[in-house]
Amino acid sequence: MIKFMKKMNDVLGASQGTARVSFVKEQAIKTVFFFTAFFAVIVVSFILLFLLRDGYVILEKAGVLAFLFGVSWAPNAVVPLYGILPLIVGTLLVTIGAMVFAVPLSIGCAIYISELASPRVKQQLKPAVELLAGIPSIVYGFFGLIVLTNFIRVTFYLPTGETWLAASVLLGIMALPTIISVSEDAISSVPCEYKEGSLAIGATRWQTISRVLVPAALSGIAAAIILGIGRAIGETMAVLMVAGNAAIIPDPIWNILSPIRTLTATLGIEMGEVAVGSDHYSALFGVAVVLLIITLIINLSAVAILRRLTEGRGHATSGKHLVSRNTRETLVRIAKITGVLILIGFFFLAAPFWLADLILLTALAVYIGRNWLSPNRVQTIAFAFVIAAALIVIAILAIILQDIVLNGLPALSWEFLTQPPRDLGRAGGIFPAIVGTLCLVMGAIAIALPLGVGAAIYLVEYTREGRITRFIRTGVDLLNGTPSIVFGLFGFAFIVLYLGIGVSMLAGQVTLALMVLPTVIRTTEESLKNIPQSLREGSLALGATRWQMISRVVLPPAVPGIVTGAILSIGRAAGETAPIMFTAVVFSSRFLPDSVFQPVMALPYHLFILATNVPGASTNKYGTALVLLLLVVGFYSIAITVRNHFHRKVRGYHV
Amino acid sequence: MTSREVTKDEMGKYPGFVITTVAQDGIAIVVNPANEIQYITLDQVKGIYLSNITKWTQITGANVPGTNNQIVIIGRDSASGTRTYFDQTVLASATPTNKMLEKNSNGAVLQTVAQTPGSIGYVSIGFVSKDIKVLPIWYNSQKIIAPTTENVKTKPYPISRDLYVITNGQPSGLTGDFIKYILSPDGQKIVADEGYVTLS
Repeated sequence: MIKFMKKMNDVLGASQGTARVSFVKEQAIKTVFFFTAFFAVIVVSFILLFLLRDGYVILEKAGVLAFLFGVSWAPNAVVPLYGILPLIVGTLLVTIGAMVFAVPLSIGCAIYISELASPRVKQQLKPAVELLAGIPSIVYGFFGLIVLTNFIRVTFYLPTGETWLAASVLLGIMALPTIISVSEDAISSVPCEYKEGSLAIGATRWQTISRVLVPAALSGIAAAIILGIGRAIGETMAVLMVAGNAAIIPDPIWNILSPIRTLTATLGIEMGEVAVGSDHYSALFGVAVVLLIITLIINLSAVAILRRLTEGRGHATSGKHLVSRNTRETLVRIAKITGVLILIGFFFLAAPFWLADLILLTALAVYIGRNWLSPNRVQTIAFAFVIAAALIVIAILAIILQDIVLNGLPALSWEFLTQPPRDLGRAGGIFPAIVGTLCLVMGAIAIALPLGVGAAIYLVEYTREGRITRFIRTGVDLLNGTPSIVFGLFGFAFIVLYLGIGVSMLAGQVTLALMVLPTVIRTTEESLKNIPQSLREGSLALGATRWQMISRVVLPPAVPGIVTGAILSIGRAAGETAPIMFTAVVFSSRFLPDSVFQPVMALPYHLFILATNVPGASTNKYGTALVLLLLVVGFYSIAITVRNHFHRKVRGYHV
Repeated sequence: MTSREVTKDEMGKYPGFVITTVAQDGIAIVVNPANEIQYITLDQVKGIYLSNITKWTQITGANVPGTNNQIVIIGRDSASGTRTYFDQTVLASATPTNKMLEKNSNGAVLQTVAQTPGSIGYVSIGFVSKDIKVLPIWYNSQKIIAPTTENVKTKPYPISRDLYVITNGQPSGLTGDFIKYILSPDGQKIVADEGYVTLS
C-alpha cells in the first residue's frame, strides 16, 4: 500500500512538471478532432457553393421561374430552352412509383423475417438481405436494360419498354434491401413485453403484429422508408439505363407506361460531352442544385418527422393536438376516402380493364366480408400475404442473381482477369479495371478513414449533445443524403477544373472519400457508443488524460466496429459509377497508371460502357458484371461477418 | 476530338484553337431488322423526328409485324455533336419531338434500336453492325443512296460531316506527333478499318 502511494506521488510529481505541456497537447488534439468533425459541414457548404457558382449563370440568364417551371428542356435548339419542370416531375413520379412497389413488399418481408420465420431461416435470410444492399446500382441497371425493359415491352405490348414503370420497379427493387433490414431491426427491437402482453390478453398473432408491433415500430419503419426514398431519388445509373430519358411529363400524368426523365439521368447523360463554361453546362449545374435542394428537403423533413415520432410516443397521453379529436378523425376519414378514390381511378386508367375490375372486386369483397371473417381467418389471409411478399422478394433477387451468375460464369477465365481489354472490351480481359477499382477505393478509404474516425471521436468523446453537435450531425446527414452524381459534379467542378488536378485517380479518390465519409462517421460513432461508460470513468478516475483514455481504453475495443464501417465503405465505393464518371476514369487503357495524377479504368464504368456503348460484347459484359458483383458482395460479406462476430462478443458481456 | 464544328462564340472565346480534320463520317439512319422498310426519304425522317409521322403504316413499304406500328424515336442527348449536326442538317434546325428517347452514345442508340422492333435511330457509319438495318436515302427510283464509305467520300450521301481534333495553338510535341500519325497512311488505315472515311 505504502509502495503504491509512493508510486502515485512519483507519477503526480512527474506530471506536475509536464502539466502545461500535456494541457496544450490535449487542447491541440481536441482542436484537430474538432476540425475533422467540422469537415463534413465544410464539404456540404462547398458542394452547394460550387454548384451555385456554376449554376447561377443560367438562373440569371433564364430566370429562376422559367428555369424551374419551364416545360421544355431543349438546350441545343436554335433558341435554347432550359425548363426543368419535366425533370423535376419525372424525379418525383419515379420515386413515388418505386415506393408504391417497394414499401408493401419490404414491410411484408420484414414482418416475415422478424415474426414468422423460424430462427434458422431468419439467421440465413437476414445477412442475405444485407448482402443484397451491396449490389452495385450499375449491375441493377444492366439487368434492367437487358431483361426488365424487354419484359415490360412484351408483357404490356408496348412500342418500347423504357418507361416510368421500368424505372420505378428497378428503383423499388434497389430500395428493397435497405427498407427491409431497417424496418426489420425496428420491429425486432420493440420490447418483448408489448408482444407478450398483447398475446396474453387473447389477441391473435396477426392482431399483435398489426395493432401492437408495427405501430410501436412506426418511427423505425418511417426511417426505413425515408432511407429508401433517399436511395431512389439520388440514383443515376440504373434510372438512366431504363427510363428512356424523354424529357416529358407523362400524359396523362398517371401514365406509368410513358418514358420519363429524371434530374439525375439528365446529369448522367449530358455532363460527359457538354462544353465547359457554356449555358448548357451552367444549366446542368442548375439541375444539380435543384436535385441537391430536393434531397436536402427530404432529409431535413425526415429528421424532423423522426423527432416528432419519437417525442410523440413519449407524450402520447398528455399530447395536445392542433385540432380536436373529432375533427381529426373526420379529416383522416376524408383523406382515406380520397386516397381510395385516387387509387381506384389510377387502376382504371393505368392498368388493363380486367385487372382493374379484378382488384376492385377483391377489395370490395374484402371490405364487405371483413365483419364476417373470424380473427383467425384474417390471420391466415394476412400471413399468406406476408409470406407471398417474402417469396416475391426472394424470387426477384434470385432472378437477378441467376441471370448475372449464369451468363457471367462462362466469361471468367485466367486471361479475363489478368489481361487488358482488346477490341473495345469485346475481347481480352479487365485486369486494368480491377486494379483501377482497387486503387480508387483504397485511396478513398485512406482519406475518409482518418477524417471520419476523428469526427466520430469528437462527436462522442469531446462534446455533450448541444447546438454544435446538432449542427455537425445535420452536416453529416446532409452529406449522407447527397446523390452520388452530385458528388461527381462537385468533384469535376472543384477538383478536376478549379484545383486543376485534371481527370485523375486522385480526383476520383477524393470524390469517393467525400461520399463514404458519412458511413465511416456513423459506424465509428455506433461502435464508440457501444463502449460502456464505466470504462471511460474508470480510466479518467485513474488519472488518465482524455486523450490517453480515448487512445488506450476506448479505441481498441472499438476497432472491429470501425473496420466494419471501413469495409462497408469500400464496398460502396467500389460499386459506384456516377462519382468517378467525370473525375477519374477512362474507358480503355492498356497500361496501369503510374501516378495518382493519371486516369484509371474502373469496373463499374467499364460495365456501363460495355452495356450501353459497345454492341456485341455480350460475354464480356456479363463477365464484368459478375466480377464487380463478387468484389462488392465480397467486401460486404467480410464486413457483415466482422460485425456479427463483434456483436456477439459485446452482447455476451452485457446480457 | 469532336464531330461538331466549333461555334463562332467558342472561336471568339478561344482564339488559339487550331482545328485539324482527321476523317470523314456519315450518319446512317437505322431501324430494327424486324421492320420491312427498305429505304426512306429525308422528308420522312424529318417528319418522324418532328412527330408529324407517328406510325410506320404512314410510310410506304414499312411494316413491323407483331406490333401496332408505333414509331419509337431514338436520338442523342442534347450535348452530343452528332445530335447537333443531325438537328441542323436533317431537321433544318428544328427541335426534335420531346417524345424522343435520348441516349448518350452511338452504341447506346444502336443497342436500343437492336432490341426495340418499332424503333428508328441514327448512328455514325463506324458503328453500323448486323444487329440493325441501315436505310438508304430515297430521292427517286433512279437515285437511292446508301451510307457507304464510298458515297460519303464522293459526297452524294447527304448526311455526312468531318471529324476534327482541336488543339489550343499549333500542335507540337507528342500531340503534334499523334496528329501527324493519324494523318499518315498508317493512321488513315485505322480510320478505314473502324468503318470511317479516310481523307484522301
